[in-house]
Parts: sequence; structure tokens; C-alpha cells
Amino acid sequence: MPPRQNASRPTTTGTRVQAQPQPSTDDPRIMLDRQIGADLFEPIPPYPPRTEREGEFYTLGDGEMFLNVGPHHPATHGVLRLVLKLSGEQVVDVDPVLGYLHRGVEKICENSDYYHVIDQVDPLEYISSLFQEWAAVLSFEKLMDVEVPRRAEYIRVLSGELLRIASHTLYMGFLALDLGGLTPILYGFIERDEIVEMLAALTGARMLFNYFRIGGVNGDLNHEFMSRLGDWMSRAARQTEASAGLLNENEIFVRRTRGMGVLDRATALRFGVTGGNLRATGVPFDVRRAHPYSVYPELDFSIPTRTEGDSLARYLIRVDEVRESIKIIDQCLHNIPDGPVMAKLPRLLRPRPGRSWGACEGPRGMMGVYSISDGSDGPFRFRIHDPSFVNLETVPALLPGNLLADTMAIVASLDPVMGGIDK
Amino acid sequence: MRTSMTSVTAFVKSLPAGVLVRLSPAERLALIFSPLAIGGGVVTVLAIALLGPPFTDFLGANLPLVRFAVAASAILLMTVPTAFVLIYLELKVIARMNLRVGPNRIGPWGSAMSVVHGLKVLAKEDFAPTGADVTIFTLAPVVTYLASIMTLLVIPFAPGLIGQDLNIGLLYFFAVGGLTVVGLLMAGWSSFNKYSLLGGLRAAAQIISYEIPLTLSVVGVILLAGTMSTNRIVLAQSGSLLDWFVFRQPLAVLVFFIAATAEANRTPFDMTEADSEIVAGFATEYSGMRFGFFFFAEYVNVFIVSALAATLFFGGWTAPFNWPLAYDLNWFNPWSLGFFGWTAIVLAVLVIGTEFFAVIVRLFGGREWSAWDAMGLGFLIDLVLVVGILGLAGFIAFDWVHGIFWFMVKTYAFVFTFVWMRATLPRVRVDQLMGFAWKWLLPASLLNLFATATAVVLLNR
Amino acid sequence: MDRILKTRLEARLAEHLRGPVYQRHDETEIRIEPGSVPEVLRILHDAVDLRFEILADLAGVDTGEVMQVVYHLWSPMASDWLRIIADGLSRDDPRAPSATFLWTGAEWLEREAYDMFGIVFEGNRDLRRIFMPPDYTSFPLRKDFLLPDDSARSPGAGVRHVERGYGPAGLADDPAAGIRRAPAS
Repeated sequence: MPPRQNASRPTTTGTRVQAQPQPSTDDPRIMLDRQIGADLFEPIPPYPPRTEREGEFYTLGDGEMFLNVGPHHPATHGVLRLVLKLSGEQVVDVDPVLGYLHRGVEKICENSDYYHVIDQVDPLEYISSLFQEWAAVLSFEKLMDVEVPRRAEYIRVLSGELLRIASHTLYMGFLALDLGGLTPILYGFIERDEIVEMLAALTGARMLFNYFRIGGVNGDLNHEFMSRLGDWMSRAARQTEASAGLLNENEIFVRRTRGMGVLDRATALRFGVTGGNLRATGVPFDVRRAHPYSVYPELDFSIPTRTEGDSLARYLIRVDEVRESIKIIDQCLHNIPDGPVMAKLPRLLRPRPGRSWGACEGPRGMMGVYSISDGSDGPFRFRIHDPSFVNLETVPALLPGNLLADTMAIVASLDPVMGGIDK
Repeated sequence: MRTSMTSVTAFVKSLPAGVLVRLSPAERLALIFSPLAIGGGVVTVLAIALLGPPFTDFLGANLPLVRFAVAASAILLMTVPTAFVLIYLELKVIARMNLRVGPNRIGPWGSAMSVVHGLKVLAKEDFAPTGADVTIFTLAPVVTYLASIMTLLVIPFAPGLIGQDLNIGLLYFFAVGGLTVVGLLMAGWSSFNKYSLLGGLRAAAQIISYEIPLTLSVVGVILLAGTMSTNRIVLAQSGSLLDWFVFRQPLAVLVFFIAATAEANRTPFDMTEADSEIVAGFATEYSGMRFGFFFFAEYVNVFIVSALAATLFFGGWTAPFNWPLAYDLNWFNPWSLGFFGWTAIVLAVLVIGTEFFAVIVRLFGGREWSAWDAMGLGFLIDLVLVVGILGLAGFIAFDWVHGIFWFMVKTYAFVFTFVWMRATLPRVRVDQLMGFAWKWLLPASLLNLFATATAVVLLNR
Repeated sequence: MDRILKTRLEARLAEHLRGPVYQRHDETEIRIEPGSVPEVLRILHDAVDLRFEILADLAGVDTGEVMQVVYHLWSPMASDWLRIIADGLSRDDPRAPSATFLWTGAEWLEREAYDMFGIVFEGNRDLRRIFMPPDYTSFPLRKDFLLPDDSARSPGAGVRHVERGYGPAGLADDPAAGIRRAPAS
């Protein structure tokens, strides 16, 4: 960037800094660069506001300033840019800017065949990637009228619930890390590592599993997986209680999350929030019970719900969900039938033209896939509905009024994963 | 003189052209530095011969000045190794508490990690961000560092080992220690970065708020000891274990410890450098040695408040139980051995001890210990044993060795507590922090002060 | 296959439906005109026997001939997912009414549909691009999207010397041609 000429030291008030008059030129690049340079350190876009909301946001009131919690930041969960309008330390307004991780997954899936879509859709919510696969295969199986063998359904539930526990454990660790505690995240990673090693024995991969297939799963349970699972189950309940106790009873943690970022029931429903964030506000909506899929109707588990709607409630719900998942895994292990793990399908999948929607309950909420088939060997339109996207949308409603210090804590308590948000 | 000059120039001119190019860099260096060294040596000898005696007389006449200069230099030299030790300790202890290993590559058990870090920050590019006020930007870490280390002047490490036994020692301590806030504000303002600004302002607000409970909690000790001199405060606690002020000022210890955590910007009060919100707070734009200064200043600060807690409340250099200090070493006159006697003893101990332990290592270690490895390990064991025995002897005989040992034990116990808190606790929010200081700590310290004053007055009637 | 839902929908939305209520597996699908979206959504949300209070998804679709906006809703009273296809948006100037009057969460979903397809939602207070850079000039998920012609052009393109392409395969086009801005939305 060429050095600014005659620029006054920018103040932190006012929308645009008026630089001193500079020698005139009609080179549009230089004119534009001067305009950009004048706002060198202010996150104000160099073009006129495109919408009402943008104009309203990028106009500073008295004593307000912009702070760019930018894509490079130690605490945003991935590449998320939050433009905060602060009055001192208090947040007045926030404009999240997305798209730094946009990879065009939907377009890529339109150009792939049905088998390849499973692989492409994994890195969306990379922490819990089986759930994207599950939503995709639910949608495709409805398109193609495929019936999944019961053993495969049980294996799907088993691996899904294990991954849910792994994801929630990591969530607790990241929430503590954003609040300043260095230890719980490392304990969380130890627990997650055990589960992920288990799933690596089952699927071959530690993070992006590529395990579900249309009509079943890719490979039966094996000895190593079962032995690791047995080891883990014998310790799971005690370990969960121990790591939950690390934070539940910590006075500082509780004081920083209780009453923070309160999302009430009506607002949550208006935003379309799903998952643990919705259940923390009192709405007992869980896709596994509301619109059951797979073998969930046969399993006995409860849906933890709380009514406070603050960060602490969102955290406690996930702790409860881990306990419920352990119950589900236990039942799966007892009830799993024998049989094939994959339905018989033709090699070239050419479903009839049609549309279908499939949704599953991921750790962050409802992961849905709407796919349109036009008779060819790939989806015509592959639409992914990601729960973190709508969860993050509540941020401009939750943050104003809180201090800067709570910004990250509230965003962390919503559990956003940028891969899914940006697709 | 003129003939020698002309002969030198003639000699240089007579050298074949390009001789310098044909020399290696080491030879070139030697060629340049040897005349400089010789000249320097000549000048030094002349200076000592001509100016030496008046200088030593001057020193002898102003012994306190000499003592002060030596003390100040010793303190300055001590801070960096202390910071290194503390950094390593923190990394290792937090790692162990996180069920990790911590640094284990560089040096035995990773202990040279801090040294390497120090060298690394020295080697980094030195720049200031665009728009920063370079003068203040450069001075800020200096101010912070100096404010931290100047307070070491009044900390009693051992009987007789104190930088300067000021009458107003504690007042000096808090006055100078409070200058850190100036440095942090300078850093926050001059960085031309909103994160730094927020961090600097938070730091200023936090430190200023916690200064008051910190100083008030200490006034009780001053009342009990009757003096502000740290040396005499320690002497006032030197009777027995129960004379330590912690038993008479329990509330003050608590308030002091909490306020000291906030003063040192340690978790749970490290809002100023909260990684997860404001990147690195006031130090966001700092890198290289400037950041190194801030880093060292923080660890020296931790050491200082631990040392102060040990001094004021836990007896400083006094031992918890009475130690038979006065072993009489007079039966043995070290001068009687003479130079050769001592050389013989040192060589005998080193060589024979090394061989002895090398043989033992070889016998019990097995085949994989080569002769040199065994000798090396034997030397190490021998050294440790010798230092241990000498240390023990010094411990029994000299009260300053004894004093330093206990002082360091107590200080490092508090340092360990600070590190432990950092590993386990999350961060307190800014407004909760302020509320806590003004609403809880300040009334508590005032209460303590009034209670102590009342007790002193009543008990002295 | 929720037959009761079908009868209720046919009763309530008779004049808005543009075709029969189609049911398959556990989904019920209705097609409506884009203009009747606000009324239909309002009826579905408020009616006592329908109560579709949870917006599951809002997507844009480009069928090659027309564009559609597809809503998915869930109700505790029905055992099916409800899909509403607002059909018949033209591909040259797709406009649809916004659902933000009912669900604030539709704002970002509509922004995504605008960004990917160019569908303009009237009534959305904040219809700007969400994933692509603000000065991006085309809509990626459309079926007539061609990648090489539509690479992003930044307002500062070509100002820094490293960004000036040299030769025909260079990055920046002729900078003197002026700054290309995002189309006014």
C-alpha cells in the first residue's frame, strides 16, 4: 500500500476520516487507493452501503468505534469476521462477515455422482462429519427408495452417538478456552482422541470419515473397534462426570456464563435455531424424537431441556446429552442384530426424477439436505441446511449490550463450526 | 615516533595488493583485532598503573556507593536468569497439569528452552507498526521492565543480603512498582491498534484498582513490625514459626495474595492479555526483544510479589524451625592449606571421584555405556555430590546460604501457586474484576487495618 | 404420508395451491405462486391446526427454465415435513417476497439464495452477498455460471504492482477501464 500522504492521525469516531487535500489526479486507481488508504485501519467498506442495514451499521454514533475481530483471531471458531461497534467496552452492534471458508460444496456436488457426494460433504462440519453424511444419505435413500438393513442402521446410530460425544467434549473444552482456562481443552482432546481412534479403527479415518453409503455403511464392526469401545464404555460414565465436574462447579466459569447471551424461546423459534441452543430455551425439539429416522424410535433416551436460555444452560445441556448418548450406545450394543451392512444397489445409481428432504440431528442442531434428482447419476441440486449457519445468525441479537469480553464466550457457547457455516 | 609511523605505513604499503582478499574471514578478523587488542591491553595496564591507586582509594572511601553499585548490578544480572527459570517452570508445570509433557527437547528435560527463546527474540526483526509513535513504542517495554526490577532493591534475600536497606523500603516498593501501569498505558496507546488500546486501558484500570487493597493490606504488617524497612520486618518475624505475620494477619495475607495476582496480571485476572478476546492486549503489536521485555517483566513481577509475600508474611529468610546455625568452623582454617593444598584437594576430589563413579556406572550400566559416556556421567555425579556437600556445609555454617535457601523455597512455593492458578482457573471478566476489587477487597483490607490498629493500641497499653 | 395434513392444507390453502398436494415417503409438497408466499406462510404459521412454527430451510433452486424458492417447515401437529415450492420465478429477474416478516432467521438464508442465484427478496432489510466478496459480479449456483469469466474483481485490483498481470494471461484487466462495482441490488 503506498504510504498515506498528509493523512491526519485517524480518530476512532466519525465514519470516514478526511485526509488532507491531495494533488488531484484522474487515475481512478490512485483515487480509489487514497480512498481506501484514508480508512486504512477502519473496517468500513470502500463502497456506498448496499442495504439499509449496512448503512445503519456502518454509521458511528457518539463515542462509538469499530473493532474488527477479524478472520485472524485466536478465538473465533475458524475464519469468522465480526465487525463490532463498541462504545467503550460495550458492544452496541455486530456485523458478522462470512465467506472466508466458502468452498462451493453445493456446486461441486452438482457435478459429482451420488457416491462422490458423501466424500465432498464431509468437511462441512468437520468436527462431526458423520452427520452431514447421514443427512445426505437419508435424502438420497428416499430419492432412490432404498431400504437400509437394520444392522447398518444400528451401526450408524452407534457411530453417530460416539461422534456426538466427541463433538460435545470438544465444545466444552473450547468454551473453557475462550474463557481463559487452559486445562479443560486438553482433557477434552484426550477424551476425543479415544473416541476418534475408535472410529478410525472402524472407518479408517480419524476426522473426515467417508463411512456412510447409500444403503448402509462401508464396512462392518471389527474386533479392534469392539475392544476399544468396550474399554471406553467401562470408563465413560466416570470420565464424563469428572470432566463435567471440572467446569460445572468452577465459580468463575459459572459466573461468566450464567445469564450471558440469553436467547428466549420466541426469538429462538423466530431465528430457526435448532439443536442444543433451542432446547436450552425450553423448546423440546430434537429431530430424533420430533421426526424419527433410522432406529431411534426403538431406543430409549430422553431429551434434556432447560428454560434459562443462557450460555450456562447451553453448556449443561450438552453435558446431559453426553450422558444420554452413552445410554444410547449401551442399548445399541445390546440390541444390534446380525445381517448385512449394505443394501444391494446397482453400480450406476440413476434414480427417478424427484425431490427429497432428509434431516438428522447433529450435535449443533438439525442438519438437513434437500436434493433434486433429474434422472442422471448425480444430484441436480444439492442443498445443505447447516445448523451452525442459523445458530450464528442469532449473534447480532445476542451480543449487543454485553461487554467485549463476553463476545467470544457467547459465540463459543453457540458452538459454530465455520466449515458448515460457509459451506 | 615519526620513524616508527613511517615504517609502519611503509610496511603496510609494501604488502602485495589484494592481500586482504586472499585472507579468510577469520584471518582478516585476527588481523584487525590483534593490534586493537594489543593497544587495548597496553592502555589498560597504563590506566591501572597510573590511575589505579587513586581509584581504589576513592572506592574505599565511598564503600556504600560501591556496595550499591554491586547490588544494583547483581540485581540486574539476576533478573534474566530468574525470568528464564520461571518461564521454564511455568511451561513445564502447566504442561504436567494438562497431562502433557512440556518442553523436553532442548537441554536436559527441556531446561535450555528459555535460553533458546531468549536468543530467538533477540534475533527477530525490530520494527514498529505503521502509525505507531515510535519513541513511546520503544520506551514502553523499558519502563515496564525497569519498574519491575527496581523493586528488587529492597527485598531481603538473606541476613545481610539486601540491595539497600531503606527506611521506607515498602513505600519505595509500591511507589516504584506502580510505574508498571505507565509502561502498559504507553504500550497500549502508542501501538496504534484498538486491541492494544483496549488492553492498555484494561491494564491501567485493573492495576490501579488493585493497588489500593494491596497497599492497605500491607499496612497492617507495618503496624505490627513498627517499621517500613523490609529487613527489619523480617527481623521482627525471626523469633520462631509463630512469630510469622501470617498467623497474626490472616485476612491481610488473603487480600494481599489476590491483589498481587491482579497486580502481576496473572490468571484469573489476566484480562489485559486475554488471548481469546484481544489477541495479546497491550502487547499485540510487539515482537522480538520488545516483547521479550514485557514477557520478562511479567515473570519478574511474579517473582517479586511472591518474594514480597514471603518477606512480609512468611518470615522472609527465617527458617520454620530453629536451626543450629552456629556450627563452629573455626577448628578448620582454610588458609592453612595454601594454594597447592587446595589444588591438590580439588584435583583429587574431581579426578578420583569421577573415576570412582565412572567405574560404578560401567559396572551397573552394562555394555551400552562406553568409557567416555561413563566418565561423563561419573563427572556429573561427582559434581553434584561435591556441590551438594559444599552446599550443605555452607548451609550449616553460613547464615546467608541458609537464608537464601529458605527465602527461595518460600518464594518458589508462591510462584508455583501462581502457576497452578494459571493452569486451572478461567478468566474473570473486567467488570467483575473491578467490582471485586472495590466492593470486596477494599473493605476487607480496611477492616484488617482497623482491627490491627485497634489490637496494637490495646495490647500496648 | 400424512393424509390429515393433506386435507387440512387443501382446506386452508385452496386458492393458493397451484397443483395437487404431493406426498411421498414422509414429505408433503405444495406449489404456490411466488406472490402468495407471505399469505401462505402466515396461514401455515398461525393456523391452530397447522402450526408450522419451525422454519427448517429456505433454498433457491435453478431448474434451468425457471427459478424456485423452496421452503421446508415442521409442525408438531403433522408427522410429515412440509415443502413449499414457490415456483415460476423468471431466470432473468427473479424476485420473491421475503419471509423475514415471520422468521428473522430467514434473513441470512435469503441472503444466501440471493448470493448464489440472484433471487431478490423484497422486504429483506439486509440483502447483500454473504459468501462471495461484495463486488462479485455473478451468481455461482446458477446453471449458466461459467467460472473463468467471473473471477472476482477487487476495487484495488491492479493498484499494487504485484497484482498487475503481464500479458494476456495476466490477472488484472486494463485498470484504466475503471472500477467495476457490484450490481446495485
